[in-house]
Amino acid sequence: MATEKTVSLSAEARAVAARVGSLRDFLDYLGEHEQCVTWPDAILPEPDIRNISVAAGNNVSTGPAVIFDKIRGYPGKRVAVNVHGSFGNLALLLGMSKTTPVRELFFEIIRRWGSDKPLLERVAPEKAPVNENRVDKNINLYDLLPLYRINANDGGFYIGKACVVSRDPLEPDNFGKQNVGIYRIQVMGPDTFTLLSIPAHDMGRQMLMAEQHGKPLKVSVMIGNHPAMPMFAATPVGYDESEFAYASQMMGAPLRLTTAVNGTDILADTEMVIEGELQLNQREVEGPFGEFPGSYSGVRKVPLFRVTSVSHRNNPIFENIYIGKGWTEHDTLIGLNTSAPIYAQLKKDFPEVAAVNALYQHGLTGIISVKNRFSGFAKSVAMRALGTPHGTMYLKNLILVDENVDPFDLNQVMWALSTRTRANDIIVIPNMPMVPIDPAAEVPGKGHRLIIDATSFMAPDNLGADPHLVDRPMGPEIDALMQRLNELQKGGA
Amino acid sequence: MKTICPRCESPGVTQMHAGMENGQILWRVWHCKDCAYTWRDSEPAESIDPKVRPAWAQMKGVDIDSLRQVIPPARKPT
Ligand SMILES: [Zn+2]
Repeated sequence: MATEKTVSLSAEARAVAARVGSLRDFLDYLGEHEQCVTWPDAILPEPDIRNISVAAGNNVSTGPAVIFDKIRGYPGKRVAVNVHGSFGNLALLLGMSKTTPVRELFFEIIRRWGSDKPLLERVAPEKAPVNENRVDKNINLYDLLPLYRINANDGGFYIGKACVVSRDPLEPDNFGKQNVGIYRIQVMGPDTFTLLSIPAHDMGRQMLMAEQHGKPLKVSVMIGNHPAMPMFAATPVGYDESEFAYASQMMGAPLRLTTAVNGTDILADTEMVIEGELQLNQREVEGPFGEFPGSYSGVRKVPLFRVTSVSHRNNPIFENIYIGKGWTEHDTLIGLNTSAPIYAQLKKDFPEVAAVNALYQHGLTGIISVKNRFSGFAKSVAMRALGTPHGTMYLKNLILVDENVDPFDLNQVMWALSTRTRANDIIVIPNMPMVPIDPAAEVPGKGHRLIIDATSFMAPDNLGADPHLVDRPMGPEIDALMQRLNELQKGGA
Repeated sequence: MKTICPRCESPGVTQMHAGMENGQILWRVWHCKDCAYTWRDSEPAESIDPKVRPAWAQMKGVDIDSLRQVIPPARKPT
């Protein structure tokens, strides 16, 4: 349940929070920091949007958001990609410098973590920008949105970054049981789409309930949202907690809500909202889709929704994501929010845990830095990590490093692997639960776990003891010197 | 030439949309009612030419009814 916990923000973070109320505001803000580019040339939907999205995402530090407004065959329509595609863009959202090291972003997220006092304002539907236009007859999503194929062998055109709002079909009046999540959506007929969820996720649970009880399940698909929404809607919160409340407090700024025609709450400043209703027990052929492990998911039968109405701002922006073989915007979007809950859960029992880096493919590989309490302690911490909610399905490869090794600096991690790992400190746990789309799973849903203990030795272990460890200069002083060098390189004083 | 689905080679395809440029049709989007594949006829061959598409991605002869369900329906659709 929601708490009264609030975040305290720096002056810069407060200024960003006050200024950014929508995707448009954020794109403007990114542009002022050379982090948003409007592509100047006319392009075809395929393969140009795909290729330019990949190129923008290849620069993980400071790759820009890209707006396309000259899409051939879609005159006047706009697409935005890579909005969360670099750590520079995330840093700007958090009110920090765009060259902030990832480790500092992680600790800023941790500092804000758990804050969920709702900061929500209500806007009357007739005053909400999202309602500037409404279509409820002859709906054709291929006409309303500049849809395109994300990866060459996808089964169709996907909406990959929408935040989907749904009410509990058995308790439609319960605000807390309203779910907001990101699910992949494949557009089908002109006014139908599939939405992929699994029974373990909130949306999948609601679909099962609706069909078992013959109750309607109404959803609002929000496209082009306040940047805090996709970032924090992807964070696992309890089933009776509101992602809206959480995103608003993590951002430290009110989110403006209004009511959709179908009664769900939606962001008043979102670019477009597609309202739809689950077609009970109907299925459509869905996939393949190039997923985050970098391989295509299979072709399966997936629940089908019919669109009841579409609302959108004037000149709406279709915000989408490139996802596929990493690194992609998907990794940047969810990486810190995958790492933070694992850290928070470990820290409760093991205060020796210093940081957790689970940025890689939704945490299929994670690196934990921890101070050994006694010999072999890091292995116990690894076992605990496997028992966290995310770890149960995702943490496949775990690397444990000392507390003075920065898990976000892979050169330091490799140093630890090179000089601390003994082959008999590697543990394989066979036949464990595994996220079904891991292509390395033994069978979908089942696979092996790997723990590599790359921490230092301590008594009673006397092997490989290293009494002459070099004290490498590190910490804020060195960080400041690196920042200074960076500025000097760019011609600063 | 009759348009067929590049994935399952069914002739049961429907035009979803046409993209316009200077009053002319630049491309069309098609959807297959059998295998639900969607494509734009301006796409590179790797997506829309059955002779170029990878064999694993083709669905000619695949029994649609036997595909795996992600969320099994509670009852038969009415
Ligand atoms: Zn077909």
